[in-house]
Parts: sequence; C-alpha cells; structure tokens
Amino acid sequence: MTTPSRASWAEPYKIKMVEPLFMTTREQREKAITEAGFNTFLLRSEDVYIDLLTDSGTSAMSDRQWAGLMLGDEAYAGSRNYYRLEEVVQRCYGYKHFIPTHQGRGAENLISQVLIKPGDVIPGNMYFTTTKAHQELAGGTFVDVIVDEAHDSASCFPFKGNIDLAKLAAVIELHGAAKIPYVALATTVNMAGGQPISLENLRAVRALTKQHGIRIIHDMTRVAENAHMIQRLEAGHAHRPLRDIVLEICSLTDGATMSAKKDALVNIGGFLATNEESVFEEARNLVVIYEGLHTYGGLAGRDMAAMAIGIEESLDDDHMRARVGQVQYLGDKLIAAGIPVVRPIGTHGVFLDAKAFLPHLPQECFPAQALAAELYVEAGVRAMERGIVSAGRDAATGDHCRPALELVRLTIPRRVYTQAHMDVVAESVMRLHEARSTITGLTMVYEPTYLRFFQARFVRRPGA
Amino acid sequence: MRHRTIIEPFRIKSVEPILLGTEEERAAHLAAAHHNPFLLGSDQVTIDLLTDSGTSAMSAQQWSGIMVGDESYAGSLSWGRMESVVRDLTGFEHILPTHQGRAAERIIYGQLGGPGKLFISNTHFDTTRANIESGGATAVDIPIAEGRDPESEHPFKGNMDVAALERLLAAERERVGAVILTVTNNTGGGQPVSLANVTEVSAACRKHGVPLVIDCCRIAENSWFVRHREPGMCDVPYREIARRMFALADAAVMSAKKDGLANMGGFLALRDDALADECRNLLIITEGFTTYGGLSGRDMEAIATGLQEVFDDRYLEYRIRSTTFLGDRLHELGVPLMRPIGGHAVYVDAKRLYPQIPVHEYPGQSLVCALYLLAGIRSVEIGSVMFGTYDAAGALVPAAMELVRLAIPRRVYTQSHIEYVAETFEEVMARRGEARGLRITREPRFLRHFSAHFEPVG
Repeated sequence: MTTPSRASWAEPYKIKMVEPLFMTTREQREKAITEAGFNTFLLRSEDVYIDLLTDSGTSAMSDRQWAGLMLGDEAYAGSRNYYRLEEVVQRCYGYKHFIPTHQGRGAENLISQVLIKPGDVIPGNMYFTTTKAHQELAGGTFVDVIVDEAHDSASCFPFKGNIDLAKLAAVIELHGAAKIPYVALATTVNMAGGQPISLENLRAVRALTKQHGIRIIHDMTRVAENAHMIQRLEAGHAHRPLRDIVLEICSLTDGATMSAKKDALVNIGGFLATNEESVFEEARNLVVIYEGLHTYGGLAGRDMAAMAIGIEESLDDDHMRARVGQVQYLGDKLIAAGIPVVRPIGTHGVFLDAKAFLPHLPQECFPAQALAAELYVEAGVRAMERGIVSAGRDAATGDHCRPALELVRLTIPRRVYTQAHMDVVAESVMRLHEARSTITGLTMVYEPTYLRFFQARFVRRPGA
Repeated sequence: MRHRTIIEPFRIKSVEPILLGTEEERAAHLAAAHHNPFLLGSDQVTIDLLTDSGTSAMSAQQWSGIMVGDESYAGSLSWGRMESVVRDLTGFEHILPTHQGRAAERIIYGQLGGPGKLFISNTHFDTTRANIESGGATAVDIPIAEGRDPESEHPFKGNMDVAALERLLAAERERVGAVILTVTNNTGGGQPVSLANVTEVSAACRKHGVPLVIDCCRIAENSWFVRHREPGMCDVPYREIARRMFALADAAVMSAKKDGLANMGGFLALRDDALADECRNLLIITEGFTTYGGLSGRDMEAIATGLQEVFDDRYLEYRIRSTTFLGDRLHELGVPLMRPIGGHAVYVDAKRLYPQIPVHEYPGQSLVCALYLLAGIRSVEIGSVMFGTYDAAGALVPAAMELVRLAIPRRVYTQSHIEYVAETFEEVMARRGEARGLRITREPRFLRHFSAHFEPVG
C-alpha cells in the first residue's frame, strides 16, 4: 500500500466559518471524566478539546450547503427539497425508490420491520451496534460472515471488509434461504476499523445470493470512502471516477439504509432505498408512524437540501483524496511511533489496538474503555470504545460478548480539523503510550439494557 | 389611543416566493395528486394552510441559533440549552429530545401501552391514535358534550368529561395505560382546556394511580385562552399558567414544530426515574443518543429560543387575534364553523356547508379540493377520511364531525393573504350547491389521509 505524498491530500477547500475550541486543565478533565463515569459519551462538548468521538453528523458543511439550508422549503407535504433529494439519490446511487428518515437508524428500523420475521437469520460483514439492535428487536439473529483477517488487527490484508464466501455459503446451507431475508452488507466496515470491501468480493457475493434468491441490503453510510479504496487498491479501477464505482457497488445490491451523517456531509438525516416496489410500499406505510410523512421523513426541508448538495460533494475525487489522506496521515504518524493500531488504516478513523496497547489488562477490565478515558484525561481528546462494552451481552447466556478486537476509535470528522490538530492527537497518544503501564482498568457500575456503551458508567480500578 | 388593529409584533427579515398558478393548472395538479392535497408539490400551492406544524417563520434570534448550533454527537452545548429551557418550563426532571412529537409519543405510549391497554383522552390526534393502536391498545375519546357540538360557544370546549373519566377509571383501572390531555385540543377544533379541568382530571388520575400525560404542543396558545377566559387568571403570566398545568401532570410530550416555533423537533418530559430509564433505552435505539435524540444541534438551539419567544405577551396576542380575524370574516359570510374560533386554525363544518354530500362521500374532502381549485389554498380534512374506520361488513364508520382545518402557520402570512382566503370563501358559498363528493380508490393500512387516492363521484 502506498502512502500518498503530503501534498496530495491538501484540502480542496479553504475555511469560511470557524467555531471556538475549549482548552481545559488536567484537573478539570480529571473531574469531568469522573462525573461522566469514565464514559466519553457522557462528557459535555465544552469539556472536550479535539472531538474524535464520531464522524457522524460532525462534518463541516460547505458554503453551498449552508446556502441550501437557507433555501429549505418547510412545507409539510411535497417540499421541493424532497423532489430534489429523490433525484440526487436516484442519479448518484441508482436505487429506484427512496424514503427519507431522520437518521440512519430510522431506516434500519423500517427495513428490519418490513423484512425480518422472528427466527430469521441475517448474515453480514461484521455487526454494527444499532443495526444489530434493530435486527434483534424484529426477532432476527445476526451471523458474522466477514473474512477472518478482519478480526486480526495486525493483518495488512487490504480488503478486510470482504465477506467470506465459504462462511456465507455455510450459513445458507445450515438455515436455508427462506430463513435469510437478506445479507447485511456494510461499506466500509466500521467495527473492523473502517475497512473496505473489494468490488471483486461484492460481485461474488451477488452471484452467490442470486443463486439462492437472497437480497443484499447495503449499509451505505461510507460507500464513497469504500469506493475510494477500491479506486486506490483494487486492480483495474484506478482510472474510474468515484461516482462510477459507487454506482456499481449500489447496483450489486437490492436496497440500502443510509446515515447521511457520514459520507453525505450533513449534521442530520438518512434514508431507506430499495429497488422493490412491495418493500417500498410497506416501508412507506410504516414511515408515517415512526418518522414523518414520506415527503419529509422527520427531516426539516433545509436538511434535505443540505443532504442533496452533500451527496454530490462527497463523490468528488479530490474531496475524497483529502478526506482519506488526512486519516492516513494520522495513522502513519502513529505507526511510525510504534503505536499498535489496526492495519491497514481505514477510511474514517484510526483504531488503537487496546489489547496490544495495554497488554497488562484482561478484557474484563475494559481496556479500550479505560484507554479512551485516559486519553481524554491526558489531552482532552475524545475517542470512542469499540470493544467488549460496545459488543454487549449474549442474549442466550447473559455473558459479555468478547470480540476479538478491543479498539479505541479516533474518528476524524470531515473537513473540521487541520493537520496541526492531527499532530496534537498523535503526540497525545504517544505520551500516553509511554505512560501506559500506569493505566489501571475500569469496573462497570451501571449497565443499561440496550446499547450499553452509550450510557454505561465505570469507576477506575485501584492501582497495583 | 387604544387600537383595534392588531399589528404583528415583528417585521419581516427574509421572504420566500409563492407561486400564483391558474385554475386550469391547478385542475391538472389536483387530478395528478388523486384529489388528495397531501400529494401536491409545495410549489403547486399558493397559500399553504395544510398545517401549522413545522411551518413557522423563525426569528432572527432563532436563525442565529441555527448558525451557532453545536453538532457534537454527545454532550452538545445546544442540548444543554434546550434541556434547561424545557426543564425550567415543564418542571420535569427527565427531558428526552426526539426528532419530532410522534417519536416522543411512540416511546412513552410504547412503554405504557400494548395489547389490551386503554388510553383515555379529550381527543386523540391522528398520529397519536395510530401510535397507540399500532401497539394493540385502544384509544377512547371523552371530550365534554359541548366539544362535539360545533355551534356551542362554551369557552373551554377542549375540556375532558370528568364524570366519564371517573366512570372509566372505576371500571377499567387495571387496563388504563395513561390519560392524555391535548392542549389545545387539535382534533376538536383547536379548543382550549381550562386549568380547572386539568386540576380535576389530575385529581381523578392520582386517586386511581393512573399517569396523566399532557400533549403540550400548543400549550402557549392554550395559556392565552386560560388567562382571558378563566375566572381569576387574568393577571397570571402565560408561562406561569403553563407551568401550573405541567405541575398537575406526570409526563409531557411535545411536538416543538408548533409552539416551539421550530421547523423540526420534539421532546418527552418525565417525572418518574424508572420510566425515564426505559424510555431512554428506546430513544437510543430508534431516535438517537440521549443528548440529541435525532435532532441536529442547530435545531435544538432553535427550539430553546422558540420556546421562550412563544410565551411573549405581544406574540400570543397577535397569534390568537389573527386566527380569530379569519374566523370572524368567514362567520360574517355565513360559513358554518366550529365555534368559538380556536388558537391555531379555523375549522369549517363541511357537513353543514354541503348537506347534499353524504358522509361516506366525504364532504370535507370535497371542500378541501374546492379551495385548492379555486385559489390554490391547501387545507386538510379532519373528518371521516382521517378518522373513519370500517365495520366488520366493510361499511364506513364515520367520524363524529366532518371538519376542514385551515391551519395558520405562525408568523408566515400577512393580513392580505388572509383576506384572499376569505374572498375565496365568498365563491365557495356562492357555489355550495354544485359541490359533489368523492370516493376512495386506494388507501394504505395506517394514517390513510396522508396518501389515499380519491375520485369525484358521478
């Protein structure tokens, strides 16, 4: 894998509007993290210096998107922003039908309710928290069919988002196609470290599912980033425009859920897309109950306007080169300093390998949760745990699910932070790495039923 | 001098064009929309009185909030602002943001409802009823008798029938999920609920240990009526009246798209810790994390500011008096109306306007189509299209009333727009004998009024 030269990712934009950052002292941060139960989700944004919690909804919009915001048509029914967005979704992604939702999980809720029956099995390229929760609420069970390399943080396999065709075939064999409403396919795979799927693999998955008459539902929240990796790393695609690859990826699937808060550069919004008339009809009946009338789906007209513009901007080759280039820059700095991170570097963040970072802590001491908390105390940098806390408990045994990957995600918001901010982050992680032996683990003192990572509370374990 | 003219307590800072089409163009649009104005494009509409929900003009202060919105995923400062404004207004400890009101309803009624449960309201609104019934529970309306009589001039026609409530609670206590007071009562004509009625309802609920939920999406408008119509309330500030109502309840749901003066957003407010925990779990799965609930930071800013602006004395005076202005003009023309005029809309009684159209041919929908054809005015039927059901034999069980709602968006239209609407009604009255009904040619399972198709009868 080639590292792009620094000049190649210079941002293809200049800054038009700024927002102040908050500087805090170590004492203030120590107090803030204690009050937040050592859960970075529970910190107040004013206590955070550099916020790498998520790339979701945190993008800087362009001046055109802000202009779109001003032109929002807030009519309850038939807003022109809806028709414009429908046209953009159809043209850029190729799906026939589209229903806006207030965000991605609204679309996940709809598709799970429409397609999943109790007892169904949904194979996918690694779970995602909210996706799995909706599948389970609808009575389904998620089965992981991602390639083994995805669970190995040190493997440098370039397409760790790929589906293992043998695993998928075995799941179909075991349960029968009738029990599988769809294959859940994510581009890129967030929980594996923002890893892409190759076009070759996707074509093979399409061929296999077609034989059995099984749908592919595409979690397309970072499809443009995935397409960029195909362009960069997969033989024969270097000269294809991003738009073209995105369209091909979508054409190999039957429907999609989209959180537009990632690729599409907006602060709120999502949609459900499908090529099937019957699924569309059913989902349109449900959307009025959960989200809003199907011509706004719980979104203000202005946010539909910003989304239509954001989708177009996300498919610009220069934009994407700078976006992924910035993430790679941070990753390469950390690799050069000997910090254990998930390899290769993904597209939306750098994932610290907490097991290797803190080898003295067993998984029961929540090493990734502890590392995220200590990184905040060290430098005011907010990251997110993606390990045993996020994985939740096994519904049958009640025990913790123990994922092979115990990660801390440093997620890079789009167009928000500069190279100097990335340097500060890298230095902070290096400082913490030097002091790693002083980090004690955590004890969980409050655990919610669903998606516990959002609200769980912890205390520090006493030092040795 | 004391002026009779009520002027807007603001001037216009930003405008949006509206399109003026011809009657021929509108006839084509209406046919393409299957005689359901919900299916019209907004650029085919001249005066959009479809709803007052999410259609307000925001203030300069709110737009500046849009610019400073903090889009942090967790712990956003804008959430901190909205939470403190809502907590201060409602007095409830737990505030959960939602992307709009129906999400707040779905979360709390999902927790309190389910198969066999019973919900009692002064009148359930369409999305509320759908939320409750899709979970397998039953929704029962018990407005006072005057609330069902379009001509009654009772000052608080939104009140709940307390005797009927007592009877239901005595007989069905175990089944009751919650008692819901919608203030003002939208379906019943935007009619207010008195503080005295809330007090009595609250006492009955507490006696039987049943939670009282206030649907507060128009509580500021309700407060105007309480202050001006209820004995002893004339010196109590609007905001204080609202606070007293909240103090009598156990929870509140709000669509901030009405009295929040926002284009998007809502919240659920709760007193009970355990219920709040359960609701937060559902919130995270279906809406978003607890500090944004599916809203952008900027929209939370706009709501925080809007909830403060809406209780301004001069704003409420303008708001209620300008709605009454349209009502009075139509009343003078002899248009049969829901009396007295409510807070956010004028409700025309289509059954009396078009006595020749039987209920199963939807007189309300006929008027909705006529207003669009004549003048590009978009309104909404609140009658048997919205609330009708079918019996076992497939015959229509009609709604109690056949109304057409002319909802006035907040701070959007001027007096001349309203004069244009009134003038259109002169024509409607002149041609009332020619009106024909419609039949439904296609309808979805839930909330059929949003997307049903119609064709004219005969």
